[in-house]
Amino acid sequence: MLSQSIWWGGLALEVLLLLRGLQGKFARRYYVFYGYISFVLSQDILLFFAYQWRLQFYRDIYWSAEFIGVVLGCGIIFEVFRTELSAYPGVARMARNVLVLVFALAAAKGLANAWNDPRWWVEANTFEIERALRIVQAVSIAALVGLFLSYSISFGRNVRGILLGYGLFIGMRIVCLSFVSIQTHNFWFYAYSGCYLLVLCLWLIHLWSFSAVQQPQTSVRLEEDYQTLAAATRRRLQGARGYLVKAVRP
Amino acid sequence: VISVPAAVMFAILLLLFLLLLAVKNVVSPPDLFSGLNAGLPGDVPELTLCPPEFVASIFSHDDQEFVAATKSLHLEKLFKRERKAVALVWVRQTSAAIRRIMREHMIAARQSKDLELMTEVRLLALYVRLMFVCWVLFAVIHSTGPLWLRGLAVYADLLSQRIVGAQQAFGSATVAREIRGAGRI
Repeated sequence: MLSQSIWWGGLALEVLLLLRGLQGKFARRYYVFYGYISFVLSQDILLFFAYQWRLQFYRDIYWSAEFIGVVLGCGIIFEVFRTELSAYPGVARMARNVLVLVFALAAAKGLANAWNDPRWWVEANTFEIERALRIVQAVSIAALVGLFLSYSISFGRNVRGILLGYGLFIGMRIVCLSFVSIQTHNFWFYAYSGCYLLVLCLWLIHLWSFSAVQQPQTSVRLEEDYQTLAAATRRRLQGARGYLVKAVRP
Repeated sequence: VISVPAAVMFAILLLLFLLLLAVKNVVSPPDLFSGLNAGLPGDVPELTLCPPEFVASIFSHDDQEFVAATKSLHLEKLFKRERKAVALVWVRQTSAAIRRIMREHMIAARQSKDLELMTEVRLLALYVRLMFVCWVLFAVIHSTGPLWLRGLAVYADLLSQRIVGAQQAFGSATVAREIRGAGRI
């Protein structure tokens, strides 16, 4: 009964989210995100039919769709990156480097694991593989959020909602994949499903209407003087260090 | 394979970052055009804090000796308490100034096309070191008081001078031995 209510609730919220995006004509702007929502919606409907009439295919459809969802989720991260950092080319380059580093490290770790223990791919269950992929996504989102916070990059309401919702979903998914039971529907199964409803509500609130990302006016002078700026900051920080030391030492 | 505790740690880290993001937006609404009037790097004002003479007297023993001469325990206690409070305010003020320097840099640098990862990492490392020093100063002053800190600094300075002296003596002795040895050959 609880599963059914969560399922129907999720479906209704997904439809509403899509309708608002299409009505407000901002679905085109965040096309990866709305593509992801459409995909999840069709996945839910497909799984419903499979559950009702073709139960033997349910597991295969579920896990195939989950992995496509992971790939589309990476697209959401890049969409946030694309829309928010277009006015900050230097930070965008840095974020790109950081994301490439995260993915390269993850790929290297995966290859090293496979090299050391070739049976890993066979023995690891779908939960473990998905958890590993979700952790890579979590690190990417955390790195991106860290950069946004450090450089005080302003968010539009829409993108902030997408990032908060998707981040929350990934965090909860990792926790649930760590504790969820394959055989029975334990607390973590319902927690995961319930959390997805919360994420949908968060998205709906933030994406109810379009909110333009206000771009700062570009300052040509600063673009030309990064090295001078960095040198000035270094000098000021070293001045602060000297000030601290001089105060305490005789 | 990623263990369960590591996975949970990653998830918590991500949720903390998101919480920070949400809180930051509530506490301080986006400052869109703050980078606009940042001016040229050369225009950035220098660290404006208490004058060094004032700061030196916070950690100085002179006032304490003066108060001790009155032989009033109450006055001495009051002096220590007040001096500690002043020292803590000074540390807070200094760390706020350091934070401001870094924030101004971030806001000014974010629009630059030439942003360099390594330069930013080096600046961040310097910033983290300074904040750590402030944190240590705060903890030490809070637990023992500024005068003890000055005593410790004096002791460390004496010790380092002795070490330098010993090193120099050792160095000159080695050189003298080498010269003597070379003379025998």
